[in-house]
Amino acid sequence: MSQDKPSFNWKITGQAGHGVMLASMLMAKMAKRHGMQAFNYLEYPSLIKGGHQTGQVCADFTCASCQRKKLDVIVIYTQESFAVHKQEITDDTIIIYNSDFEELSEEIKNIYQGRIQQMPLASWAKEITGTTLAANTVSLGVSALAIGLDPDICKQVIGDAFDSQEIIDKNLAAFDRGYLEASKVIDSKFSITPQEDKNILLNGNEALGLGALSGGLQFYSAYPMTPSTGLLHFLNEHKHKLPIVVKQVEDEIGAIHEAIGASVAGARAMTGSSGGGFALMVEALAFAGGAEIPLVILEGQRTGPATGAPTWTAQSDLSFVLTAGHGIFPKVVLTPGTVEEHFQLAQKAMYLAEKYQLPIVILSDKYILESHQTMPAPDMVFINERQSMVDKSELSADESYLRYLDTESGISKRSIPGQEFGLQLTNSYEHDQWGFATEDAQTIEKSVNKRARKMSLILQELPQPKLIGSDQAEITLVGWGSTINVLRETVKALDKKVNAIHLACMHPFPVESFKQLTSTSQKLIMVEGNVDGQGEAWIKQQTGIGMDDRIRRFDGRPFYAEDLVESLTNLEKNSANSEKKNLMGRLSFTGK
Amino acid sequence: MKITKKTIKSSITPTWCPGCGNFGILRAFHSALEELELNHEEVLIIYGVGCGPNEADFNRTYGIHSLHGRELPNAIGAKLANHDLKVIVVGGDGDLYGEGANHLMFSARGNHDITTLVHNNWRYSLTTGQASPTSPQNTVTKTTPEGSIETPLNPLQLALSLQTTFVAQGYSGNYQQLKEIIKAGIMHRGFSLIDIIQPCITFNKDHDFDWYKQNIIELKDHDPKDWQKAYELSSSEREKIATGVYFQNEDIPAYHEQLVQLKEKTLINQWQHEIDLSNVIQEYA
Repeated sequence: MSQDKPSFNWKITGQAGHGVMLASMLMAKMAKRHGMQAFNYLEYPSLIKGGHQTGQVCADFTCASCQRKKLDVIVIYTQESFAVHKQEITDDTIIIYNSDFEELSEEIKNIYQGRIQQMPLASWAKEITGTTLAANTVSLGVSALAIGLDPDICKQVIGDAFDSQEIIDKNLAAFDRGYLEASKVIDSKFSITPQEDKNILLNGNEALGLGALSGGLQFYSAYPMTPSTGLLHFLNEHKHKLPIVVKQVEDEIGAIHEAIGASVAGARAMTGSSGGGFALMVEALAFAGGAEIPLVILEGQRTGPATGAPTWTAQSDLSFVLTAGHGIFPKVVLTPGTVEEHFQLAQKAMYLAEKYQLPIVILSDKYILESHQTMPAPDMVFINERQSMVDKSELSADESYLRYLDTESGISKRSIPGQEFGLQLTNSYEHDQWGFATEDAQTIEKSVNKRARKMSLILQELPQPKLIGSDQAEITLVGWGSTINVLRETVKALDKKVNAIHLACMHPFPVESFKQLTSTSQKLIMVEGNVDGQGEAWIKQQTGIGMDDRIRRFDGRPFYAEDLVESLTNLEKNSANSEKKNLMGRLSFTGK
Repeated sequence: MKITKKTIKSSITPTWCPGCGNFGILRAFHSALEELELNHEEVLIIYGVGCGPNEADFNRTYGIHSLHGRELPNAIGAKLANHDLKVIVVGGDGDLYGEGANHLMFSARGNHDITTLVHNNWRYSLTTGQASPTSPQNTVTKTTPEGSIETPLNPLQLALSLQTTFVAQGYSGNYQQLKEIIKAGIMHRGFSLIDIIQPCITFNKDHDFDWYKQNIIELKDHDPKDWQKAYELSSSEREKIATGVYFQNEDIPAYHEQLVQLKEKTLINQWQHEIDLSNVIQEYA
């Protein structure tokens, strides 16, 4: 079977330690090198060995914005996977079963007769490389044949994935063995003809890191916490190329305060964590806001509350982040959606934080921070200029410089320690224009107003709501953050009936543009990953616009376009019967 | 411009109680800065929150008046951004031994080149006199009406146990010695903890100037290279408080000296007007 512009959906399942995650990322890269778009979604438990892990790659020449359900090929290491992934295996799915670990039960053999290829992947790996470690690479060879990928292109990917030639050679041999064995028993599902590849493949963390580097990041301090740890790893890996300072700190309070110290001293600085760590940072967030210290903070949401379900996704920290910090101070909350937008907004956040001297929270989630997605390769060289800094020529021996000069824009030019005649006190207390603490009523009011003015000004530089799909659609889906990846695919599937609005900035809320964009919408449906409709409530508060319906998910899993399509189709049927139902009840995914 | 005792003073008059030990500490600190011939702009002082740290408003250098207990991580970040600065922390016993004790341990472990002055009056005085981590056991305050239960924290032994490379104790009433200790601490390459005993004449009536006069002596005939002896001399059981430099290790490089990225230049002096990321991006192609 072959098509002109085929797409494929592949999955690998195994235990922690089987190399599932690496294999899955490599499969996504192989697809990318064929000129395809790819999305790689990973699921794993919070442990180091055992458990059930999956990686799944959806690849498509036109659009692969999220994971898909129905599989073309699945690699299975343990029998339990058959039950877990029952609904994703179709009559046409090729099942590659690693027969080295467990003998298949008669029941499973019967159910999946004709579709299962039992293959001793680990034994082949051992024969070829001396250890079973490369079983995942053997499975890639088998998968490449089953899908119909070009083996030479796949092998380039393997060649680039490891540092030592010895390991490269072993893995290439492992891949070849898998490809050869598969060719004896499997017919390729497709024939993927390579096209020009202009993309790069990153996960959300890596895209944020790359974006921050392109925006002049010099200092990153953090405490490891899923799903933000990937950013700490990424920056450590590349720190010497820039150079930047990357530091693991004793706790999240220390992490944000080190970034604050570096920022005051003149370095572009960032910190990051998940909801729990961000909770510890909140007092310092108010400090950065009040003392006008540029700072970018990643908040990577995971399933809460408390320790929650550490390796699963959520969009349940929005209300918390919007109101985080005691007292009133300017703050921006960005909610990037695609991997590419993580790159773009991280870059922008570095620049805007310095220009407006305020904290910017990038609110993302496990789903997109740890999923790989192709994006067009960006420029290689980025212009990087300082913002809102006082120049030497503006400082004089009469010491007239005022750190918190009360300007019309609210922005006061900043001096940094070491600059002659620029002495100042960056103060967590309410302060006068020099920086000295004050309790004077008039000065307090002036300072509050000065800082507030920055918020109205910054709005014009922030991302506006984006409409995806036809502007004539009957239904408009509204989402913030990573949800757009699934909404894009949903809009594509339902063509002109449904469009979607993506919100990449939730605070300050783009009130006017949102009102304008929704002015012709017939039916607004909010799609978000929390139980209490945090985005929906915020939009209502900011704009007065209420949603007509809502779809929510809060079981740690991302939305699937297939589920949304089904719900929306049912909704259409139901409204034909003039039965207005709340979608929330219908889309109860928990316990599935 | 070089700091003098005169130029260091801001236009704001100190707001401490008349007779407060903080006056003596500030005087010694100003003299130390003058005698080291430091420039105003090369000194960054990071203050916590408390009576002592309120001197943020009285000093004319670069400053950060931080949150309670968080001055040390601010200092670490600032030092790594620009290690040409002299980074000095001014905090209190509640600040650095209570709220921010965790950061104190890690600043010492990293041997960050920061001089830490702890105004230690055994009370939370800015919040009207509650017990602090260094209050003697059984201290009666508004929050410990039956007497404090906890064992007092011994800052010197805590610092020594963490291999802090400069550990000293001073006294607000001994100007000459305190000034020399602060100078030595600032010149030390690495983390210096200078615990400064001071009376709180308002909220600590048990320990007035007369009490300190009778109970404080100068540390004599001690070799600061001798860690073991330093640990013994700083015991909580000691009969009198001996002030001086207990320990100094000059053989361990400071944290920033161990970062390859900072070998040639400070971080902020490595600002790039054009950032070339081709060697990062190609890994993801």
